[in-house]
Formats: sequence, structure tokens, C-alpha cells
Amino acid sequence: MIPGLVQILLWQGAGELASHFLLPTIPGPVLGLVFLLAFLVVRGRVPDNLALVSDAFSQHLGLLFVPAATGVILFLPQLREHAWAVILALLGSVLLTVAVTALVLKGLNRKATHE
Amino acid sequence: MSRSLPIHEIWVYLSGSPLLALILTLTAYQIGFFLYTRSNRHPLANPVAIAVLIVAFSLELLDMPYAKYFEGAQFVHFLLGTATVSLAVPIYRGLRELRGRMGPLLLALVSGGLVSIASAVGIARSLGADHAIVGAMVSKSVTAPIAMGVAERLGYSPTLTAVFAVITGILGAVLARFVLDALGVKDWWQRGFAIGVAAHGIGTSRAFSIHPEAGTYASLAMGLHGILGAVAIPLLAGYIPLF
Repeated sequence: MIPGLVQILLWQGAGELASHFLLPTIPGPVLGLVFLLAFLVVRGRVPDNLALVSDAFSQHLGLLFVPAATGVILFLPQLREHAWAVILALLGSVLLTVAVTALVLKGLNRKATHE
Repeated sequence: MSRSLPIHEIWVYLSGSPLLALILTLTAYQIGFFLYTRSNRHPLANPVAIAVLIVAFSLELLDMPYAKYFEGAQFVHFLLGTATVSLAVPIYRGLRELRGRMGPLLLALVSGGLVSIASAVGIARSLGADHAIVGAMVSKSVTAPIAMGVAERLGYSPTLTAVFAVITGILGAVLARFVLDALGVKDWWQRGFAIGVAAHGIGTSRAFSIHPEAGTYASLAMGLHGILGAVAIPLLAGYIPLF
């Protein structure tokens, strides 16, 4: 477990450095993700100790954004005032996104099988 | 005085250390996760939503300001970055499953991603939501840890982004099947990918619980949307009219 965690922290560090000096618009952890992904592609497999850490994180990813999400209590008056806008925007957006993504796949797939 | 420690002294001691915030966060999540598994992993019993409600209620009860809570809870918050890096592993696994579908999938991802931003920002703006709310709509379909990082860089609220992302995930997990049925989309890989693009992690766990192929494609969609969002949203941000 520890070797996997060390590797991930090092990739995160590399990402933070790249973000700071080269690509300031992209968050460091995302660049770390891209570096690690490139490393895995070159390597051709996921080392066991890395898989262990990653699976632990992805299983309980939600826990990590509880502290920030709880900050919603500071926005309550604002959210109450615009409640309908928020609800309709989130609802409309998710339905449209599912529909468009699925229709594009369905359309392209039909075209591919007809050719 | 020596007989028993006054309760407020214990209280002052505890609230000064990060321990209380950490106990609160982890216990609340534990309860949320327990209820989630007890409900057979129903998306409406989302562990994050339950945990946020419990923590918020406890802070109210303890009369503890949010800033003070976050001082302690930031140790959990810090791991978000580390968890983001580790998303490379599921993305890599998904890429190996692809079998030559990369072109259509990328096209669907870009269309879905653009629609998610345009519709959320468009609806919120036209209904008169303020700048903070509209800004937080921009990256809400991207998986929360990445969405929050992107929002922070762009000067939008990471908190509102996280909350909108969680609500989006729940809505997508519950409602996507009705949209997909109505449109006659039957292939599991198409259904899974659409759910992953729209509803990231929460939609992905839902997809896994319905069909493994749907889950694999949902997870891939979530990962690719995360990378694409992090790269493209900062570039697009200047062109998105928030007002």
C-alpha cells in the first residue's frame, strides 16, 4: 500500500510543478493524472500496489468532498432565492446531456453497421 | 473543581484540535455509507448528501462556524488531489476495454460535455441566477474532485460546484434510464457511456449495479470527461457568457 501511495504523491507533485511553471490553467492533480496515465500506457499494466491505493480511493471518493460540500451552508440564502433556477438548470442539463450523448452514439453506431 | 472537569473545558480543548472535525466528517460519512448499503445502494440514499446534512446539522447544533470546521477537515479535503491522480488507474483499465470504439465515444463525449455546460449555464442564467451559481454550473458534470479544482482555478465556488455535481449525479443516476428507454437506446455500452458523461461517479456506481458492461463504459466516460473538462473548460471559460 505504501509504495503505491508514495508513487501517487510523487505524480501529484510532478503535476503541481508542471501546473505552476508550465500550464497554470490546468489543476496540478489533473496533470498528475495525465502523467500517471501515460506511465501506465508505457508500462502496459497496473502495478499491484498502485491498484490497491487507487481502488481504496475510488471506493470512497465521496468522503473526500464532504468538507467542501458542507460549505453549502454558507450559500443557503442565495440558493433559496434562486432555488427554481438551480433545480431546473441541473435537471434540464442532466436529461439533455444523457439524451445527446446516447443519441450521438446510437447514430454513429447505426451508420457504422450500415456501411 | 478537581472532582470533575467542567464540560466546557473539555469542549474548548476538543474544538481547538482537528480531531473533532475529522471525527464529525468520518462518522457522518460512515452513517451515510451504512444507509446507502442498507438501501441496496439506491442513488437517493447518496452517502455524500447524507454526510453533508449530518455535518451541517451538527455544526448548527454545536454552534461551530464552518471556517473552524474546515480548519480541521482540510486534512480530508487535501486528499482530493491525491484521489484525482489515482483516477488514472480506472481510466487506463477502461481504455484497454475499448476495442476500436474510440472515435464515436470521443465525439459523443464532446457533444455531451458541451450540451451539459450550455444547458446548465443557459437555463440558470435565463432564470436569473446570480454569478456565483451560474459559474458553479460550468463544471458540474465533471467528476467532483476535478470539477472543484477547475472551478477554483477559474474563480468559481468549489463548494457550489461540488454540491451541484453531487445533485447532478443523483438526478442522472435516478432519471437516466427513463430518457434512454424513451429514446430506444438499448446497448449497454451506449447506456453506460451516456450515464457516465452526464452523471460522473454517482451515475457510474448506478451503472455498475445494473450491468457490468454499462459500468465499465460509464467509468471510462467519467474519466475521459474529467480529463477533457480539465483541459477544455479553462480554454472555453472566456467564451461562456455567464450573464
